[in-house]
Amino acid sequence: MFSKILNWINDRWPLTAIIRWSLEEEMPGGTSYAYVFGSCVLLIFLLQVITGLWQLIYFVPTVDRGYGSLNYLRVEVPFGWLIHGLHYWGASAMIILVGLHISQVYIWGAYKNPRQLTWLIGVGNLLLTLGLGFTGPVLPWDERGFWEAEVAVSSAGTIPILGTLARNLLQGGSILGQLTLSRFFFLHVAILPGILILFVVLHLVAFRKSGISGPWNETKRKRMGSFWPDQVFKDVTVVTFIFVILVGLAAYWRAPFAGPLDTLQTFYVPKPEWYFLFFYQTLKAFHGVLEPIGTIGIPLIVTLLFVFLPFYDPSPERNPARRPVAMICFFVFIAWVLTMAIIGFYSKPAATAAGTQAVTTAATQTAPSSSGDPSPQTLTGVNRGSQLLNSLGCIVCHRVNGQGGAIGPELTGALLKGKSRQWLITQIRNPKAHFPNSIMPAFSSLPDQQVNDVIDFLLDIAQREKLSPAPVTKVSPPTLKPTGTQPGAAPSAAIVTGPQGPPGPASFVIGNVELGEYLFRQNCEQCHGPRGKDKVPNPGSSDSFVPALHPVSPKLFSENAHIFVNNIDPYLQHGSIPAGPNPVLRMFAFGDTESLTQEMITNVEAYVLYLNGLDRAQLVHPGLQPHFFFWLVVLAVFAILIGGLGIRLATRREE
Amino acid sequence: MTEMQLVEHEGSTRRSFLKFFIGAFSTLVALALGIPLIGALIGPSFRSKKPQWAKVGDITSLAVGQPVNLRFPSKTEDAYLRETTIHDVWVVKHSSSKVTVFSPICPHLGCHYDWHADGNEFICPCHGSVYSMTGRVLGGPAPRPIDTLPWKLEGNVLSVEWETFKVGIPQKIRT
Repeated sequence: MFSKILNWINDRWPLTAIIRWSLEEEMPGGTSYAYVFGSCVLLIFLLQVITGLWQLIYFVPTVDRGYGSLNYLRVEVPFGWLIHGLHYWGASAMIILVGLHISQVYIWGAYKNPRQLTWLIGVGNLLLTLGLGFTGPVLPWDERGFWEAEVAVSSAGTIPILGTLARNLLQGGSILGQLTLSRFFFLHVAILPGILILFVVLHLVAFRKSGISGPWNETKRKRMGSFWPDQVFKDVTVVTFIFVILVGLAAYWRAPFAGPLDTLQTFYVPKPEWYFLFFYQTLKAFHGVLEPIGTIGIPLIVTLLFVFLPFYDPSPERNPARRPVAMICFFVFIAWVLTMAIIGFYSKPAATAAGTQAVTTAATQTAPSSSGDPSPQTLTGVNRGSQLLNSLGCIVCHRVNGQGGAIGPELTGALLKGKSRQWLITQIRNPKAHFPNSIMPAFSSLPDQQVNDVIDFLLDIAQREKLSPAPVTKVSPPTLKPTGTQPGAAPSAAIVTGPQGPPGPASFVIGNVELGEYLFRQNCEQCHGPRGKDKVPNPGSSDSFVPALHPVSPKLFSENAHIFVNNIDPYLQHGSIPAGPNPVLRMFAFGDTESLTQEMITNVEAYVLYLNGLDRAQLVHPGLQPHFFFWLVVLAVFAILIGGLGIRLATRREE
Repeated sequence: MTEMQLVEHEGSTRRSFLKFFIGAFSTLVALALGIPLIGALIGPSFRSKKPQWAKVGDITSLAVGQPVNLRFPSKTEDAYLRETTIHDVWVVKHSSSKVTVFSPICPHLGCHYDWHADGNEFICPCHGSVYSMTGRVLGGPAPRPIDTLPWKLEGNVLSVEWETFKVGIPQKIRT
């Protein structure tokens, strides 16, 4: 029956001939584990195609829904964690395998005559793979993806002469936004993989035309091996091993949840994926007019060196021992990539110390100096100070220019009039020096530059109000006394007493724990203590202390992350006044007053859950639990190994 | 014997041993990938919908025995979309503590019917189904009476549980 169907097909389409052509190959020098990388790349690429396609069932490439839809897949769709995890780790695996494959081809001298065209197509595959590795992480348009897009678009802008054109084409619209994301999506899921599939076929055809190059030693080449089943066995075994590792990575090391995009989180330090760290680090050496050398010059030169390798190295000698220059070049290149990647990995961008600038480092590093955009590096101290007042959380307690909290005094010209720079530095560094009862946190570790920027901004307020005859805002008694020293003060209108309002939009989104930790230190720690652990006194409240968050009150705690978030979110959104006659400290309405954005609140919530031993990205419908699934696969591999060895022993005995 | 088999050398045990591993490992990867892919493809297809109560409004001012179309915002969760959508229902007040709430969707093929006060009947403009004020079918192709929705009164404030039902069949089955 089967052979009848096969014959019927073969009469109309050369199925058997194609299978024979692809499997039947004599391998000079025999099979080797050194040859598995090409097959591994091919099979991992297939894995990427399948898991990529499957993600399209749930993922939508829009700036407002991208992150949410991806997280829905990862958390609420059965095996979504596995499909996304395999795609995420598969990308890294593919880059490593492509690197190993090219290294093997280079060391074996397999790019030499007659395999020049195979090499050329292979270099095309390398570039397409890197393109996929670059466009992929942009797609969720989260805190990470946005900045990757920014760097890509800015880099394109540094191309001499054509920069603006390239930048505008890649950006797609007047701002970095939906149209940009659509272009990256188009590139990542259609254009790049489409061309790559075509190139892989061309690569395989070229490879089959000349066969493997085999060992450089002529005597060794005389021994023949066969591709089927000997080499296929090695390929399949290694691919299975890689697959099991990828499942393990997906099960035990989930891809990070970068948090929703919020460009106000200026303390976020964007870094590229590990496979671009060497390039990122190299770029740092080029400033100003030299910038295009880093962004365009070096990649272009390296690409051309790769492309023309078989032509400027035409000697037929393949033995590495007799190609010292080629080998030195190889190891210098590898050393450069590894060193730069390691430095890049551990490096803190030049401006990390200054929170506001940190985030823009990668973005502005490659930004065209002629673009005319207000780069943060060109901002004045006053502008930076204004941003810092937001990012440091000053406006949580202080009202500035009509925005902010009422826990501390409003920062007006009248209040600041006559205060010297030195006085203000002391006030920021050590508020208790001026007001022993102050509850203002001491910003003792804030870098000098940031303190000066904040003061520039404050003095500018004082200056402006001096010039203006009528003060914009009327000031209640200008005093730096904390509200806590004024018992009986009416509750601020911003604070809702009694029962909380409903959870806000932040409660639906999965935040980033690290960003949440930073925000917590800036905004929450002064009352809830470091890591939410300390019991900070709150005179006048019925339990005399600010509630600890680590562990959180059993009334708010839930093993279900969604319920937990819904329990704590109203406090962050709408604030609360503790029970008691005259509580000195109150929970501030971070959401209602927009002191923290919804994205920031999301991150703080992820951190509070983390403190309480809960994962904000808790799996809702995992299909099978990740760890269980991984060990099931491992068990199956062992069963096959034992089964295979059993068969082998049994057949030997029969012989 | 097929050509494929001819291509291969006659069965040495080593080769069949290798083929066993190739087959077994390929099957393992195919299953470990295929089953999750099917699971994700099915995904939430068979998950039941969580009913949610939505406040429609105060019924004090409604006239008794007179169908009224009331609109209300209803919070809906659709996968990763959480949005407030506006729905409408037909409410017939019988007394200050008793009402009937009709889904506005014609059970024939899902059009929205309307109240015709002159004939005291609901008429669907699409295929001419006619219903009485109690929802009973008076004429046309409708396979069942108009669907009623669960409701509750807290004081004078009416809340309903928004639900939709399969159309075109005699039974009232939730979608």
